Amino acid sequence: MNRIFKSLIRISSFLGKEMTEIFRQPRLILTLVLGPFLIMFLFGLGYPDQNRTLRTTFVTTDPDTFQKEMNIFTKSFNSKIFDYVIESDKELALAKLALNQTDLVIVVPDVPFETIKNNQQAEFLIYHNEVDPIQIAYIQSVARILVDEVNRQILQSMAEQGQADSGSLQTDLETAIAKTHALRQAVPAGNVTTATQAADLENDLTNVHENLTTFRSLSSGILVSPFSAKIIGLFEVQLTVTGFFAPAVIVLLLQHVSITFASLSIVRETRSGIMELFRVAPIKAFETLVGKYLSYLFFEIILAGVITALAVRLLRIPILGSLQDYALAVVVLLFTSLGVGFLISLISQTDTQAVQYSMLLMLASIFFSGFFLDLRLMKAPITVLAWSLPATYGIRMLQDIMLRGSSAPLLVFLGIAGIGIVLFLINWRLLKKTMES
Amino acid sequence: MKNNLLAGNVVETQDLTKTFGEDIALQSLNMQVPRGTIFGFVGPSGCGKTTTVRLLTGFYKPTSGTLSVLGKNPADFSDSDREKIGYLIQQFVLYPDLTVWENLNFAASFYGVGLFRWGRLNKLLDFVELAGDKNKLARDLSGGMKRRLSLAAALVHNPELLFLDEPTAGIDPILRRKFWDYFKELQAEGHTLFITTQYVGEAAYCDLVGVMYGGRLLMIETPDGLRRKAYGGDVIGIRTNEPIRFEHRHQLESLPFVRGKVKIVSDQEVEVIVDESSTAIQLLLEWCRAQKLTVEMMEQKSPPFDDVFIRIIETEIANE
Repeated sequence: MNRIFKSLIRISSFLGKEMTEIFRQPRLILTLVLGPFLIMFLFGLGYPDQNRTLRTTFVTTDPDTFQKEMNIFTKSFNSKIFDYVIESDKELALAKLALNQTDLVIVVPDVPFETIKNNQQAEFLIYHNEVDPIQIAYIQSVARILVDEVNRQILQSMAEQGQADSGSLQTDLETAIAKTHALRQAVPAGNVTTATQAADLENDLTNVHENLTTFRSLSSGILVSPFSAKIIGLFEVQLTVTGFFAPAVIVLLLQHVSITFASLSIVRETRSGIMELFRVAPIKAFETLVGKYLSYLFFEIILAGVITALAVRLLRIPILGSLQDYALAVVVLLFTSLGVGFLISLISQTDTQAVQYSMLLMLASIFFSGFFLDLRLMKAPITVLAWSLPATYGIRMLQDIMLRGSSAPLLVFLGIAGIGIVLFLINWRLLKKTMES
Repeated sequence: MKNNLLAGNVVETQDLTKTFGEDIALQSLNMQVPRGTIFGFVGPSGCGKTTTVRLLTGFYKPTSGTLSVLGKNPADFSDSDREKIGYLIQQFVLYPDLTVWENLNFAASFYGVGLFRWGRLNKLLDFVELAGDKNKLARDLSGGMKRRLSLAAALVHNPELLFLDEPTAGIDPILRRKFWDYFKELQAEGHTLFITTQYVGEAAYCDLVGVMYGGRLLMIETPDGLRRKAYGGDVIGIRTNEPIRFEHRHQLESLPFVRGKVKIVSDQEVEVIVDESSTAIQLLLEWCRAQKLTVEMMEQKSPPFDDVFIRIIETEIANE
């Protein structure tokens, strides 16, 4: 009992020491709490929930006519996409694009109807000056929408024209049906063949008339776009950009803080020489490690609580799932991240090396954790790297709990907990070696 | 090993050797440290003092030889054995961002000292005269204060045996003296102190002194014994009213209890080395009277330990 009590006292030594050292740095705490909150807040301000407006120059040989067409066009099209001017000088427009004074140059086909009549597609040439693949994809999708919309409008006007033209045709048809009916009535009795032919003709004309009636009664918009799609999410909350990214930001921050604190912890002590004292004293590697885990866990749970409260209260980030699930996910994330940090600390020779490793992990987490690129887009071998990062598990768990309102996926939870336990065992062994060698 | 404990040795080594690759840091160290003594380990920088301490505390494993500390091989120390040992490392290793009190409290925790320890911590701070600075951050302490804090941390669990590795290095002579006063107090309380120092003058404060040079222990002696060994006997200074001439010196050297050459200090003053000062002084007074030399002063000299040490090393080098 006395041994256990002494062991607990030795474990507590680090709890007190690490906490005191952290709380002695109020500016650090303020940065850790307010930093991510401010980042999320500014992120929300900087990225409103709307598409990027493209500064566009339409190049056409007949600007006046095109302006009229654009006025009609922008009525149905999302006018926020294009902030446009119309030019006739293509070279000038391209020069402005090269200077980033505009985002797009769209060269309107010269004589589109002549081209179409010649059984060729009339082509819009769309120039951009982007290097970012995401922005290029955005422009490609805008171009598709533009062409679809132009095609749709042309088809719609053709349909409307057809409906108008079919009005006189329908009158003629009604006359023809009446005449056919009279003809059938006039066929002498016994002339079955002629009577049948007249009846068939009358039926055919009646069918055509009915179809024409239907054609004329349909809206031209329905005629050219008979199908549409409606997207329905299984969760009811409409997320903002900030709302979507908030769980990932919280995860990345908690992982980074854990790794940074832990990675500096042991390497500093090894370099300061106090390890020599630990090795002579009765304190064991296990007690040292448990003490350190507990102290940082304690501090970071408080930190996570404050950040979460700020995000929920001030940024209105939802937590649709249970708070217990959220807390459990955060604790297991912190435990595993600390394990990564201590591992770095035990294999690093200097503080600088430890900081470098931590930064590399942060960078890897941004790229591979699914923070901004969906993991389902990643090729299979690379996902191994992704799933070796605590952040990957953390983001998945917190997104499910906060945004979908479900529990953390069991396999994901077990995965991160397993990594955390393995890291603890490795760190224990390494620290034992450090304290004994 | 038990016999040694009964004989009162807290440390015993036999042919203790430590090598790092090709370098021999410590060669065949044989020594015994009696319980309750202040054992000084003196020698120049890099002579193997810290290596010895690290072997005795279990930080290093010996390359060969045997050692026993508190009756056990340090490699087999249990927690309770470790609690009996206090260790002061050469450099300041405590935490600069913690206060004096917090550092001491931390040290108490990792030694497993019970929770009701405030009284002991305050007493220790009084002892090292840091009670008024207990809320100061360690980083704001002077070098001497840091050493005192480290000493308090080494004492926090009331160890039986203290290893103090150069506790007085880099601090001023007044504070050094104070440290030795602390050590004497600790000895009086029953602690055994194993102290390394490169200030050979500090050998005077020790009960036993081990002289290290080049990874070897040259001798273990009492401070007086060290002087005697260095000079081959006791040194007696003689000052007369008349000049001490060549023939006087020649006669002095031929006296049966005088060893070696007579050292000339001035025309009227010399130093002679004798077997035993207590009997030799009377005989020398008689000799002066016979030579019609009026003695102004005759006393046993205590040559500075710096000189003693240099003499021992010179002899060692000459013997090599």
